Amino acid sequence: MFWGAILWMVVWGVIGSIAIRRRYLHRDLDTSNANIVGAFVGAGTGPVGVLFLWLRTPVLTVHYIALPAIITMGVFMFVFATSDPNNICVTNGTFVASQVVNGLVIGIIYGFMALGLTLIFSILGIVSFAHGEFYMIGGMLVYYITVVWFPGLNPVLGVLGACIITFSLGAAFERAFLTPMYDGRVARPVEYGILVTFGLAFTLQYFVQAVAGANPVKARRFLDFPRLRLPSDDDPWLLKSSRGSLELFESVTISSPRLTAAVTCILVLIALLYFLHRTWTGKALRAVSLDRDAAAIAGINPDRMNMLAFALGGMIAAMAGALLVQAFSWLPQVGAIPAMRSFVIVVLGGLGSLPGAFIGGIFVGLVEAAGTGCVPDPQKAASYIPAYGMLVLTLTLLLRPTGLLGRRFSSATHGQN
Amino acid sequence: MINLQVKNLNKSFGGQRVLKDVCFDINGPELIGLIGPNGAGKTTLTNILDGALKPNSGTVYLNDERIDQYKPYEIARAGLGRTFQVTRSFRRMTVLENLYVPALAVGNEQDRKIVHDKSMEVLEFLTMDHLCNEHAQALSGGQQKLLELGRLLMLDPDVIILDEPFAGVHPKLMEVIYEYIRRVNDDGKAIVIISHQMDAIFSLAQRLLVLDHGTIIADGPPDEVKKDQVVIEAYLGVDEDEEENDAAASSGA
Amino acid sequence: MRTQVPNILGVMILIFFAAFPFVYSAGNYDYVMHILIIGFFYAIMASSWSMLAGYAGQFSFGHMGFMGIGSYTTALLLHYVHFSPEPTKLCTEFQFGETWMIFVNPIGVTSTSLTQDCLRQAMQIWDGSVAVTDVPVWFGVILGTLLGGLAGFLIGLLVLRLRAAYLALFTLGFAEIIKATISAEIHITRGQAGMETPALFENGVTLFGQVYSRTDKLPPYFVFFFALLFCLAILTWLSRSKFGLFVRALREDQDAAAALGVNTTRYKIMVFVVTTSMAGLAGALQAHYVGIVTPNALFLLQMSLVVAMAVIGGVENFVAAALGAIIIQVLLELLRTQIEIGPIVIDMTVWRLVIFGVLLMVTLRFTSNGLIAPIIDYFYRGHIGKETVAKRAKPTNEAEAN
Repeated sequence: MFWGAILWMVVWGVIGSIAIRRRYLHRDLDTSNANIVGAFVGAGTGPVGVLFLWLRTPVLTVHYIALPAIITMGVFMFVFATSDPNNICVTNGTFVASQVVNGLVIGIIYGFMALGLTLIFSILGIVSFAHGEFYMIGGMLVYYITVVWFPGLNPVLGVLGACIITFSLGAAFERAFLTPMYDGRVARPVEYGILVTFGLAFTLQYFVQAVAGANPVKARRFLDFPRLRLPSDDDPWLLKSSRGSLELFESVTISSPRLTAAVTCILVLIALLYFLHRTWTGKALRAVSLDRDAAAIAGINPDRMNMLAFALGGMIAAMAGALLVQAFSWLPQVGAIPAMRSFVIVVLGGLGSLPGAFIGGIFVGLVEAAGTGCVPDPQKAASYIPAYGMLVLTLTLLLRPTGLLGRRFSSATHGQN
Repeated sequence: MINLQVKNLNKSFGGQRVLKDVCFDINGPELIGLIGPNGAGKTTLTNILDGALKPNSGTVYLNDERIDQYKPYEIARAGLGRTFQVTRSFRRMTVLENLYVPALAVGNEQDRKIVHDKSMEVLEFLTMDHLCNEHAQALSGGQQKLLELGRLLMLDPDVIILDEPFAGVHPKLMEVIYEYIRRVNDDGKAIVIISHQMDAIFSLAQRLLVLDHGTIIADGPPDEVKKDQVVIEAYLGVDEDEEENDAAASSGA
Repeated sequence: MRTQVPNILGVMILIFFAAFPFVYSAGNYDYVMHILIIGFFYAIMASSWSMLAGYAGQFSFGHMGFMGIGSYTTALLLHYVHFSPEPTKLCTEFQFGETWMIFVNPIGVTSTSLTQDCLRQAMQIWDGSVAVTDVPVWFGVILGTLLGGLAGFLIGLLVLRLRAAYLALFTLGFAEIIKATISAEIHITRGQAGMETPALFENGVTLFGQVYSRTDKLPPYFVFFFALLFCLAILTWLSRSKFGLFVRALREDQDAAAALGVNTTRYKIMVFVVTTSMAGLAGALQAHYVGIVTPNALFLLQMSLVVAMAVIGGVENFVAAALGAIIIQVLLELLRTQIEIGPIVIDMTVWRLVIFGVLLMVTLRFTSNGLIAPIIDYFYRGHIGKETVAKRAKPTNEAEAN
């Protein structure tokens, strides 16, 4: 029953995707959204919606993506609930609420990390394979600063130190190894860039392994919550906090490390948006991502912007790591999974799109929470989640290389044809 | 007898019509200049003729073979070759290897020795034979333009479209390229030159096609076209939305 | 004359490797042979990858995925398919004339004794009265090669329109899907526990009148050596035919190549098929040599090793890439030592990969074509600049185009 419904959705999704695109092509209309709209409408509404689109061929705005996507999600959830009525996700509302909130919180951190990757891509046109290693180094640095070198140091200073060091590392690496991409010295700049970051990832990972060894390390909690009972001690239905976690409405429990990490991410994100949209340097950065040559003519030094973008991107990843080192135990290999996840997120959101990365991050966070919480065989779900992530990545690249919110890049550096 | 028939070609990008019912014929080894203001649709037309884009409607016949739904390589084999606005030589292959590619891809002749001799002939014709083993990236911009012409000669098509063959070429070399184009034309090939350099067009072309807003507005000998009131208006009346038109055309290309 | 130097050197290297197992006789014979065998394995991977990336410009990061398809194809086939003259009446089985093709039921990793699967149960009942035959190893290797190529065909079809970062991400995604699927389908693939495979020569082999047991290193050494030579021969033949010319044109400018009559789609897919079947072959051979396949071999770091070997050797020259792989593999093993500088003891075992990573970055930065390929190029192409100048000195009557 469940798989039958899924099959039905997939088949109509494929039919919708192909048929609607054909139809729009035939009618001489804008086809850039036809694929994805057709797929969602087909999956969510079956032949009815496809027939509607086929006959009416409306102009496909973003609404035509969002609404069918929501319907598709709804149908999926309905099918899931009816086919497995005893599942904990169907019977236990508080569990669902807790999963959703935790998914949201971790999704914010995912999105934040992916933001760094997409920032690098939008300026340099390369996917940094060292992103996971920056994440790992960020955490390692916090551990070393606050535990090994200066025991008892305020973790805020530890995070700051990690940011400064990784920023310098990113800047130095960009200057030393990525500059030749832009002066015509290498034949295929983008491929060269990708390979060099590959080399950096390799070097960093084994360097940390050589220095720190293979034993997992962990930093202590940055922030202990004060003990709170709201509204009253006897009946703390609104909020109950202990040192390590927080409980809302007697149902949603969030641990301190995750909450502090997510809140910090949002604050930094706001600062970043301010930087990108209100300061000269930030505007220059965005200008370079739109049109490198035009920006250079306007007096912006694109090489400086490259360096800034790579350093910032690396720092963002490191910061995500620095904030999460209090939640997870840390190994030199710890960056691999977040890196893969970031790849999925940036492709899903659209390579080079900042809002896309953030929304994609939250989406992936929620899906992961649902996957681990609701799938009957959690062990298998945990091993398959990376695979499904990669499936999403490959499908997005095939069906809609620009992702949900991405755009096409004008310059050849970004490797689009 | 070379014969290219373009009939009612239409192309639009996202609802915007870039080519509207473009019609023209080429009969025999003509030397044609295709001109038009920015955004007139010249590059789109070239890309459709060469197969990089598919027309929304209309037909193209080359020597009675319908080619408008062909892939680029099939069109090259059918006998239509083009150069690109920006030089696109195979930079890290030697000059000779650049010439081998079209010969081995299209020609029936697969004997390396014969292909080599033919390539050397072409290089001698272009006075580039001393560069035969250099990588194409070591060549100057003008030499790369010549190399592209050389590749077309190896492809040996009936119709050649040269997209801005004089862009960024030293004035001294331009005369040389004129000469090569004339000689290739004398060899019995139809040549379409797209250029913004009017002096070049007027000194070479026997016939002018003027494209504006996606339609052919004039077709005839250069002297007549020069006096055409519509053409003069088209060239004087370049305004903003045509620039946008151009952007749409080039991003789709 | 000078252009002959690389050829002579090549022949000398060939003779060296062909004679090595017979000449070398130190106490660590098995260990050295093992390193060279693994070196040959990486050489096949690196040279086929360099054809894909260096010649055709398709920077795929999924090469290890195809290798995994090769190794798991043969491992699964040999584990699950058997032939018997009698039906087991327990397994899924099909009759072909006198023999029964038996599909063993998957039992996952729950059983340690491995007696729970249907064939073992049947064999216990038969108690040695029925001889069950396995699929021969060579058939598994061939099937692994073919399936590697088939996967390459499908991926090649899918990535036709993807370039640069998009291609890198797509192929990486493909490799990760393969890895995650193998890790998750514990029921069938036994997940991280890995699947045991029979040795290349399970019952030993007689070579040149001498009998070698299944653990002897000499037979697999020559299997890998000849597999490498076979791959290099195919790559050489392809690169010198018009295939090589066209894929390089494709790398330089796909649209221009198409406009000149090259069927770019066809050659792009062909280069994927050829190189991925080589990866499949290497994977299948390695599965039988090592005796166990695990998804660990598919991790991204393994891929970076292959990439690094090809890049340091020279990504646009598959012979250089193969040599680079062997040399680096040997160097990495040699560096498993401790260096003492005064009071400081450096454990090179952990630092060697750091050095290697730095070497990779520096190589990329300063030479676009690795360290070995430029030497070969020097001999083949070093004289061309001079020749050009000499030819230019010849009086030409036409204006020089500069």
